[in-house]
Amino acid sequence: MSGNGDLVLIKDGKRLDGRGFEELRDIKMEVSVLERASGSAYVEWGKNKVMVGVYGPRELHPKFLQDPTKARLRCVYNLAPFSVDERKKPGPDRRSVEISKVTSEALSSVVMLERFPNTVIDVFIEILQADAGTRCVGLTAASLALADAGIPMKDLVSACSAGKVNGQVVVDLMKEEDNFGECDLPMALIPKKGEIVLLQMDGNLSRDEFKEAYKLAYDGCMKVYDLQRKTLMDSMKKFVGEGGIDNGD
Amino acid sequence: MEIEGYLKKDYITNLVNESKREDGRKFDEHRKIIIDNGYVKDKAPGSCFVQLGKTKVLAGISIAVGEPFPDRPNDGVMSTSTEFRPMASPRFESGPPNEDSIEVARVIDRGIREAGAIDLKKLLIEDNLVWIVFIDIHVLDHDGNLIDAGGIASMSALLNTRLPKYEDGKIIYGEYSGKLPIARVPIPCTTAKIGKALLVDPSLNEEYAMDARLTVSTTENINAMQKGGTGSFNEEEIMACVDAAFEKGNKIRKMLKDAD
Amino acid sequence: MLNIKDRDLVVPGDLIGNEIVPDMNCYMEGGNVYSAVEGLVRVDGRKIKVVPSSGGYIPKREDVVIGVIADVLTGRWLVDINSPYICAMSGEEVSRDAAKTDLSRYYKVGDIITAKIGSVNEVYSCQLMKPWKIENGLIIDVNPKRVPRVVGKQKSMLNMIREKTGARVIVGQNGKIWIKDGNVDLAVKTIKKIEKYAQTQGLTDQISDFLDKESR
Repeated sequence: MSGNGDLVLIKDGKRLDGRGFEELRDIKMEVSVLERASGSAYVEWGKNKVMVGVYGPRELHPKFLQDPTKARLRCVYNLAPFSVDERKKPGPDRRSVEISKVTSEALSSVVMLERFPNTVIDVFIEILQADAGTRCVGLTAASLALADAGIPMKDLVSACSAGKVNGQVVVDLMKEEDNFGECDLPMALIPKKGEIVLLQMDGNLSRDEFKEAYKLAYDGCMKVYDLQRKTLMDSMKKFVGEGGIDNGD
Repeated sequence: MEIEGYLKKDYITNLVNESKREDGRKFDEHRKIIIDNGYVKDKAPGSCFVQLGKTKVLAGISIAVGEPFPDRPNDGVMSTSTEFRPMASPRFESGPPNEDSIEVARVIDRGIREAGAIDLKKLLIEDNLVWIVFIDIHVLDHDGNLIDAGGIASMSALLNTRLPKYEDGKIIYGEYSGKLPIARVPIPCTTAKIGKALLVDPSLNEEYAMDARLTVSTTENINAMQKGGTGSFNEEEIMACVDAAFEKGNKIRKMLKDAD
Repeated sequence: MLNIKDRDLVVPGDLIGNEIVPDMNCYMEGGNVYSAVEGLVRVDGRKIKVVPSSGGYIPKREDVVIGVIADVLTGRWLVDINSPYICAMSGEEVSRDAAKTDLSRYYKVGDIITAKIGSVNEVYSCQLMKPWKIENGLIIDVNPKRVPRVVGKQKSMLNMIREKTGARVIVGQNGKIWIKDGNVDLAVKTIKKIEKYAQTQGLTDQISDFLDKESR
């Protein structure tokens, strides 16, 4: 966030990529994309490309880490070296560790961990191509992958960011807006209750601007939820024989 | 050996004794190869997503500038890394590369480097400044033969890599000044030995059953070899692997050129 | 009062209704019942269950499973049944003086067995009984949540597969199925098809037609 007021990010009511202030980038979602993982999802969101693989519940080693009352949820968010402009050295950096933590906490609020004592559920989020908002894409995809794995959850988790750019509050920041805007506000919620399970902010917002950004992010999350729901429904078509069982299998 | 290994080993071996493979392939046949170039082209100057059967690997090429090695002051620099991402297999853990991951990276690297695939002499920018090429192989789904999948993905990605613009002492990301100069296209080919049989492109189950494997990376010559596993090969078997590598190498090389 | 109808598809968090009883894979909160998984809703009077589209295996008493001997200890073996929970088998299954017997003479690490789950404790650790060793043949993976469809009501589907392919088939509820002899390829193809289209209505008849067509 450099808050560079000189860079024109909004012109004639449109953002650099032609979007309106309340418009999300194009999003495509798919589940069951990996063979080995228990559950998986792949999301393209603007120029972001994110793949998530889930394993579990599975045995947790070493034993002293086991919790006899519930499963542990481990989340690893990782940027591929080629996912960003300047190559990122492999291995977790401090930013990735923080994102892993807040993502894990967001998911823990819905996953029914108490049903699987002494085990671990592993969520691996790979950012293959990054263009701002990767933690929201990752969390959204992780929620899909957990559902794909059949892990019981109270609800999905849907994420979306908002921010401020050239003094204007907008939804779903892209890279230039994240780099040169005045605020970035990633958010995630449990759609059924509308309760917030991830909220971070960095930048500069007045109280009113925050309320405006909150609403935009909230509505954005609900739009993401609709798409998540549709993706899961579509993935179950064959399960119930929609389209017949004999199509060239 | 993990449970899947025990469950499959005898079955695979019995099939091989009947001259059959689990997926119906001939012993000298590769699985279906799908090549998707430019998979992450909005950021990486070069990339390729390869599916070799169900194995899925994404190779990304990053370009930087820096100092050459002191003993080769006019040559660009290349470096190859492989990450076995934990989503790719229940056995892969988060953490630094283990010996398997490092072996895959180094074998692929040797194939590319010894063939002179990247024309490193053409990567000199100015005195004491050269292009540095990073090959990063991300294994996303493991169903066997990561060396061949990674090697094919790397070469295809390199063939489609553009050099960034370099102006006023820095790289202009997103703008490009030409293609990475490629002189030759080495392709690795791995053959597994199960009993007395030689099987090209082992699947994961076949890897559980194999006694040894031999990877041969070729252009018009042999540029790299690696024997793996605790079993052994005799000379005749090795020559058979070499011949298969030349044949398959040519076939796959043509596939890469056509996929461009 | 129901918000959905029998055989509707749901995702986690979908409202199923109120004044009903959550039976499987759903939960109650504030008087309402919601789905906990993605799957198919089945309404049975006031009982609601959601048949999951996928999921792992949690040991259940009386289940037949296929596993691999993972370790030989004094008086017992540890068996890997592809579940997050430890499974043990007492040496008494083969010998009266289990503690003094070298159990690896009966089953050693790497041996594949089929057995029944005798008991499961509150942290899901289970005990196997009545083992016998599996040799040769092929073991395939099937999503554990879809295995019941491969068996069918009163084994109707399984018997049909056995009859029409001539194969010996043992179904492990833990998602491993052993097939030997007969038309193994057709048996595998059929089982994979059932797995894919598990909750299709009239599946048994469609699979029967498929088997007849392929056998010609």
